[in-house]
Amino acid sequence: MHNPRPGLPEFDYVRPASLSEASRFLAEHQGEARPFMGGTDTFVRMRDGFWKEKYIVDVKRLDGMGDITFDPSTGLTIGAAVNMNRVIDSPEVQEHYPLLAEAAKTVASFQLRSRATIVGNICNASPAGDTIGACIVMGGVLKVHGLDGEREVPLTGFFVGPGKTVLKPGDIVTAIRFPVLPQGHAGRYIKLGRNALSDLAIVGVTAFAYPDDTPSGYRFKLALASVAPVPLVPEKAEEILTGKPITDETIAEAAQAAMDACNPIDDVRGSARYRKYMVRNLTRRAVTDVLNRLQ
Amino acid sequence: MTRIIGKSIKRVDALGKVTGQTLYPGDRDFENQLWLKVLFARRPHARILSIDTSEAEALPGVVGILTAKDVPVNQYGLQIPDQPVLCGPGSNKKGGDVVRFVGDQVAVVIAESEEIAAQARDLIKVEYQDLPVVDDPEFARSGKAPQLHPGVLNNIADYKRVRKGNPDAVWDKCAVVVESVYRTPFQEHAYLQPEAGTAYIDEAGRITVHCAGQWTWEDQQQIAQALDMPPEKIRVVYDAIGGAFGGREDMSVQIILALAVKYLAERGIYRPVKIIWNREESIIGHCKRHPMIIKTRWGAQANGKLLAAEVEIISDAGAYMYTSNKVLGNTVITCTGPYEIPHVKIDAYAVYTNNVVSGAFRGFGGPQGAFAAEMQMNKLAQKLGMDPVELRLKNALTPDKTLSVGTTIPGGVSMAQVIREAAWKSDWQFTGARPEFNPNYPEDLPRYVTGRGFAAGFKNIGFSFGYQENSWAQVELRGGGDIEEAVVRIAGADVGQGHHTVMAQIAAEVLGVELDKIRLEVSDTAFTESSGSASASRLTFMAGNAVREAAEFALSKWQAEERPAIAEATWLAPKTTPFDPETGYCVPNFAYGYVAEMVEVTVDTETGFITVDRVVCADDVGKAINPEQVVGQIEGAIVQAHGYTILEDFQVHKGRVLTPNFSTYLIPGVYDIPQHVDSIIVEDPHPDGPFGARGMGEMPYLPYAPAVAAAVYDAIGVWFDQFPITPERVLRALGKVRSWI
Ligand SMILES: Cc1cc2nc3c(=O)[nH]c(=O)nc-3n(C[C@H](O)[C@H](O)[C@H](O)COP(=O)(O)OP(=O)(O)OC[C@H]3O[C@@H](n4cnc5c(N)ncnc54)[C@H](O)[C@@H]3O)c2cc1C
Repeated sequence: MHNPRPGLPEFDYVRPASLSEASRFLAEHQGEARPFMGGTDTFVRMRDGFWKEKYIVDVKRLDGMGDITFDPSTGLTIGAAVNMNRVIDSPEVQEHYPLLAEAAKTVASFQLRSRATIVGNICNASPAGDTIGACIVMGGVLKVHGLDGEREVPLTGFFVGPGKTVLKPGDIVTAIRFPVLPQGHAGRYIKLGRNALSDLAIVGVTAFAYPDDTPSGYRFKLALASVAPVPLVPEKAEEILTGKPITDETIAEAAQAAMDACNPIDDVRGSARYRKYMVRNLTRRAVTDVLNRLQ
Repeated sequence: MTRIIGKSIKRVDALGKVTGQTLYPGDRDFENQLWLKVLFARRPHARILSIDTSEAEALPGVVGILTAKDVPVNQYGLQIPDQPVLCGPGSNKKGGDVVRFVGDQVAVVIAESEEIAAQARDLIKVEYQDLPVVDDPEFARSGKAPQLHPGVLNNIADYKRVRKGNPDAVWDKCAVVVESVYRTPFQEHAYLQPEAGTAYIDEAGRITVHCAGQWTWEDQQQIAQALDMPPEKIRVVYDAIGGAFGGREDMSVQIILALAVKYLAERGIYRPVKIIWNREESIIGHCKRHPMIIKTRWGAQANGKLLAAEVEIISDAGAYMYTSNKVLGNTVITCTGPYEIPHVKIDAYAVYTNNVVSGAFRGFGGPQGAFAAEMQMNKLAQKLGMDPVELRLKNALTPDKTLSVGTTIPGGVSMAQVIREAAWKSDWQFTGARPEFNPNYPEDLPRYVTGRGFAAGFKNIGFSFGYQENSWAQVELRGGGDIEEAVVRIAGADVGQGHHTVMAQIAAEVLGVELDKIRLEVSDTAFTESSGSASASRLTFMAGNAVREAAEFALSKWQAEERPAIAEATWLAPKTTPFDPETGYCVPNFAYGYVAEMVEVTVDTETGFITVDRVVCADDVGKAINPEQVVGQIEGAIVQAHGYTILEDFQVHKGRVLTPNFSTYLIPGVYDIPQHVDSIIVEDPHPDGPFGARGMGEMPYLPYAPAVAAAVYDAIGVWFDQFPITPERVLRALGKVRSWI
């Protein structure tokens, strides 16, 4: 019962003219200011009284934040302010990064996706974030503007805990960049919610693979949602799928390893045990689907 | 031939609603209104030692703060007055300082804005002494639990029993006996429009409350009683009502709105007040469907004839009575199904706990009773190797067969016809009983398994058990030579079901005028008397008769040249009798509707998810006055029952609600509901119903949960005696989610 007073508290809306100004402002008002994209997490947290920010810092319109660009030699860059419906509709995403569109489509509803962003999903750092797994397995790298200028931050190691990342005061993610993906790749995101549309993931499994010179003939990447304090990469399961010829047994073994890697909690949406069991089942299914798509 | 009855005319409220003109309680604003905010206890059981409002009162913009000492009669309730309006010291009723559930109200702030009111509410300091929480109804009645209400031994709020024949003498004559313990869940009404209202003193000096409810007259009585004022000094008006389903039968904001106006007036302040509950306040602040534990044993002969049934019902009433005693009565009637059983023993208890209050909810105890009865029937059929439809037909009530309370049913009994209709239209075929799934020797089930299930039910229409059911209406005909306008005054609440449209149809039919001549004046105690509650599937039947009669009287006055011709009628339903305290013998009701359902499901054995692919629902509605509205009720009931059966999961831990909003408490969305519903309208006219109509708003709900459970059994061989049948429960039953995982 955490909602004694719904209705947004008072705050100031700030729109800095440049990234440097925005970074400075955020750093100066550490703990009381936040960058804001779609606001679909921010406003809910504020309304529920969890966040008591004095300033909402709108950086959506700054340099390139609203652009999607694709370059066949360097890859895809999605500006932080690009909403999920635009990502889903982008021909380049559909052709070269279909997994990202598949994952984004599972987020809430069309209405929500016309505001929600991928970068917001990542920066919010919920273990349930539906697009995070796709970004991890496809090697997403964040472009960050901080007090010391621009830098790149890979997603590996980015998440520290629920709602916590390695971003520092003053840091603004300006875009997420994806490398050109290897030939013949395929991916799958399976989300399990209590209802067909709009529930957060009880469990989410992302699987991704491409042909490679390995014992299985593929390199496999996996990511799991809602089963640990942070989005989880079950490395052992990835190794099994990469390091052994693919058979039903290998897949089952990898699914078991994925299950063993996770450490979920009980909550109103499902018990820890159910979640673990579903990780095993859905990993098996996601990997199988990826293999079918690889052919 | 009727002209307007039986036609799916456009609803009288359609245009206003789709164009956004219609005012719901939260939409009504007054220029100089003040706002109210409630301080809820948010703890399940505690004594309030002190309340300090000084800091809150000092906040600029706060006009007043109401606590227990400001309530003239600090005790109210629909059935019995057992709930404080405001909990706290200084209450003039015994036990008024004790909080008994999270939704008990402690103080009401009156302020210039909602924000200030909320801020002030957070500044109120309440000193609580927590008391032991009683959250298990079986423990509550065990004799070891603390007593939650003065003078209520073992927390037993109500007890009913039925004794017919002697089950103990026939158990050994039964070829099969099925014994089970069923557990049914809470359910939240989840109406779109949360509780809200405005109040002021009208030009006639009445404290006037605009709100959404189910029975204006009863709201007026309860407000008057709590304020210690004569009812005629209180006026209740319903704005448009955004769903009710029973959840608005009991008071929510009505009394405090009136109390605030009174308090202000006593201080020379004459300003309207307004309140809107948010979703969390609504979910903790109003009642839920009763969770019940039903322990039951049924026996049948080898030919399928039912011989005996023994039932113990333990209903969790929550903190206060609300309608628990009446709900229990309905569960008693439905727990042996629409079947004749010669030997019956029923013991039924409604028990106080510190859980969220239980109260009225579509079906009113029927869904719980029907679940137990129909599960027993399906299990018996499986054990006998018999077609469950045939088993039902063999035992179905007919006009000359007696209910478990010893009497026959008046007004026609079409149970067998309705069962046949549902079986026929669903192409029901019995291909042999499926064996039970044995988790020790698991079958190799494919990923997707389908199954079909069947269930039947009956639902009473109207308040009864000895209560003299009545409903009032007035018709005024204006014009010279021809009727230019017919004003129909009724109090019945249009909660979204289309009640007012149906009343307009009946009036137009009787008066022989076009619909556009009818003007409705509704739901305002200033000029309407009691049409009774929008519940118990009763309004079409009861108010329909009143309107028909008033229209007939008015028409004869019109024909006798009276101008305007005004007539009113209070229609009285046939008499019923209360439960005999020893045997339960009674004439419980004067009318019923009959329903049967076939459900097809697919179970995903990997995730445990159930989808319902098809529902065939046959309903005897007597006469469909507006067929499209009837179909709307059938589909709506099925969707709501679908949530109850599969998805909705109201979770309470030690009296605290874990699912107080719509992100934690999920109701079915458009992608979750059954893929296909065939609504079959059966019309076996009721001799007392207007144009033969029976009530029907609840009955399609009743057989759904057991029909789904039977279909799931057909698919995977597991009986679910507890629901919602969540994916996790399915996988556990299949032995897939094990404790050591
Ligand atoms: C009804 C509803 C349903 C939802 N369903 C889902 C669902 O199914 N799946 C799911 O994954 N999520 C869901 N969400 C959560 C939310 O919509 C997503 O996490 C969304 O992607 C957040 O994006 P946003 O642009 O709205 O972020 P915002 O709310 O604007 O920001 C989120 C957080 O990230 C920070 N942030 C944003 N941009 C930047 C930046 N450029 N640099 C640094 N920090 C930044 C903000 O300060 C804030 O802390 C749902 C939310 C709602 C309200």
